Amino acid sequence: MLRNPESRLRLISLLLIALLLLVVGQLVRLQVFEHPRYVAEAKQMLERQYSLPAAPMGKILDSNGALLVGNLPVFEVDAYLERTDETETAIPELAVILNRPEAELRTALTFPETYTGTHVWAPLARDVTSDTLRQVRAMNLRWVTITPTWKRYYAEGALAAHVLGFANAEGYGYGVQAYQWRLIYTPPEFSAGAISGQNEPLPEEVARRSVTPVPGVNLRLTINRTIQAYVEGELDKALVEYQAEAGTIIVMNPQTGEILAMVSRPSYEPSRYADYAATNQSALFVDPAISKAYEPGSVFKLITVASALDAGLVDTNWTYEDTGMLEYGGVVARNWDRAAHGVQDLEGLLARSLNVGAATLTTRVLGAERFYKSVAAFGFGQLTNVELANEAQGLVHMPADWDWQDGFLVTNSFGQGIAVTPLQMAAAVAAIANDGVMMRPHIVAERISSDGNSVLIAQTPIGQPISAEAAQTLTELMARAMETRMKQATVPGYRIAGKSGTAQIPVSGGYDPDDIIASFVGFGPLPDPQVLILVKLDRPAIDPLLRWGSQTAAPLFQRIAARLFVLLQIPPTE
Amino acid sequence: MSVTWQKRTHGVQRRQEAFDRALARVFLGGVIVITLLGSLYLALVATNTRLSGKVWQMEEGIAEWQRQNEALTVEIARLSSIPVLIQRSIALGYAPAANVHYLVLPEP
Repeated sequence: MLRNPESRLRLISLLLIALLLLVVGQLVRLQVFEHPRYVAEAKQMLERQYSLPAAPMGKILDSNGALLVGNLPVFEVDAYLERTDETETAIPELAVILNRPEAELRTALTFPETYTGTHVWAPLARDVTSDTLRQVRAMNLRWVTITPTWKRYYAEGALAAHVLGFANAEGYGYGVQAYQWRLIYTPPEFSAGAISGQNEPLPEEVARRSVTPVPGVNLRLTINRTIQAYVEGELDKALVEYQAEAGTIIVMNPQTGEILAMVSRPSYEPSRYADYAATNQSALFVDPAISKAYEPGSVFKLITVASALDAGLVDTNWTYEDTGMLEYGGVVARNWDRAAHGVQDLEGLLARSLNVGAATLTTRVLGAERFYKSVAAFGFGQLTNVELANEAQGLVHMPADWDWQDGFLVTNSFGQGIAVTPLQMAAAVAAIANDGVMMRPHIVAERISSDGNSVLIAQTPIGQPISAEAAQTLTELMARAMETRMKQATVPGYRIAGKSGTAQIPVSGGYDPDDIIASFVGFGPLPDPQVLILVKLDRPAIDPLLRWGSQTAAPLFQRIAARLFVLLQIPPTE
Repeated sequence: MSVTWQKRTHGVQRRQEAFDRALARVFLGGVIVITLLGSLYLALVATNTRLSGKVWQMEEGIAEWQRQNEALTVEIARLSSIPVLIQRSIALGYAPAANVHYLVLPEP
């Protein structure tokens, strides 16, 4: 049968077709039915997770765009050793370049005896500069790996340390950097794809996505570095002059809520925060301006008078008989000089800083409900929501609280038995300066993304604790009180309103018999105040007769106000 | 061989030859098309890879420029920082002002 050529041809054709079918069948099996398995296997062989270059964090700028915190490009130098790598000859030179003891480096570059793996990784140096790196590269060591990274750079050193703060790798920390961490920090990006032997993505991978690091959002602050530096210098001088333990100064624009300067002492260098933490000095990180509440003393009489004026229960003609003493709720209020001052009006109450007058207003004119409603409206006992981490809300006893005592109505009227932060106090007085409109204190003026788009932070009114009329009346009373009895805080050519305070410091079981907090808050120039300054000096240790707020904080306020009016180009009004 | 057989086989052969030529043309055409398409694909892949390589180099360049830019920004900030400016001012003979007043000049 096979002799027939046609038959043989058919047989061969059939065999070839069968063979072809076999090949096609195999191809279908491999490329269709088993496709996912082979794709997965191929991926496993070719693809690895690789990290994209670290992105720089957002910069922090002052109100004029001067750099306050930037990024210094540095490198991490590590060793990725195979068991056969020879390291001994390189150790002496490498130790000198990396500034590490030879013995320490030798230990790092030795395979642990119990370790059975083929490779070992050891960190060699961090924050290595370009110059040092050049020397390392010149050694041409195969087992040295280099990773570019960034280090935070504080251009002005310790200037505005509490405001700028810092944040660790997890975003925990202090100041504006910790508060705005999610904006300024771009987390390291990891991607999976085909990589080369150098652990870098292959060109095909790059075509799919950009690997250029996208920097974090830059923040332009309301802080003016010139004003900040000047105020810091003045506070440092005042601490020496009055032998004070600590101090805080806040400068803000009452019309916008912008904080132009905020200083607290003692301070620290944010770039060295790890050193402070290692030596148990972490308490320095806490910003007293927003995180430490204090009893404000007589400065708080402004809130008491504001509350009474706003309620319409008193006016500039209102008077009371000052007998030098007032008893209410088991508490006896006395004036600072223990004297009786006879018939006094609101101006006399503020000018002489009479505790009895303030207590008269809360106990006999206002009552607890009206007074504490006003205290809450001024923002006491609440966060100001300034863009700084770890803000405290202070402590205000309300009549509905379980620990309420009637005597609080007396002591709170002149700022004792109530705890506020300096920023709360400044924001509340700023409302008086701004015709009763309270602006949210803020420190971030603008957010600028890496593509150049920027968002200006809106100035936000957060309430009107007193009417415009009441605010203007109180401002006038404050100005007149200063002109008659507080000349040491006035600035020639400018009309200023202000109030001093000397507060006792609460300690366990009562008040510290020796130490006080001296403070002054004022604003000007009237009638269009553009600057508010709060000065607070903790425990001035000079002669007790010379350490009152009117004698320490007020002259300091005067010096700062006089300079700021010039720096801010505010012409004299008188 | 009979005439019928010859006629038949020759006829078959002629038909077969004609069929083979047509098949060869189709096959050749197919090969040419496949080769063209293959070449086009390979050229595209090669171009893509070359361009991707360039993009990678440029991205690396951007990252390097970014680092240099940041380094320069930091250096400028250092040189124009307040302590450095004060030092330079003092070295140039300036002194810190003790009293500063706003000078109001009369209108011209």
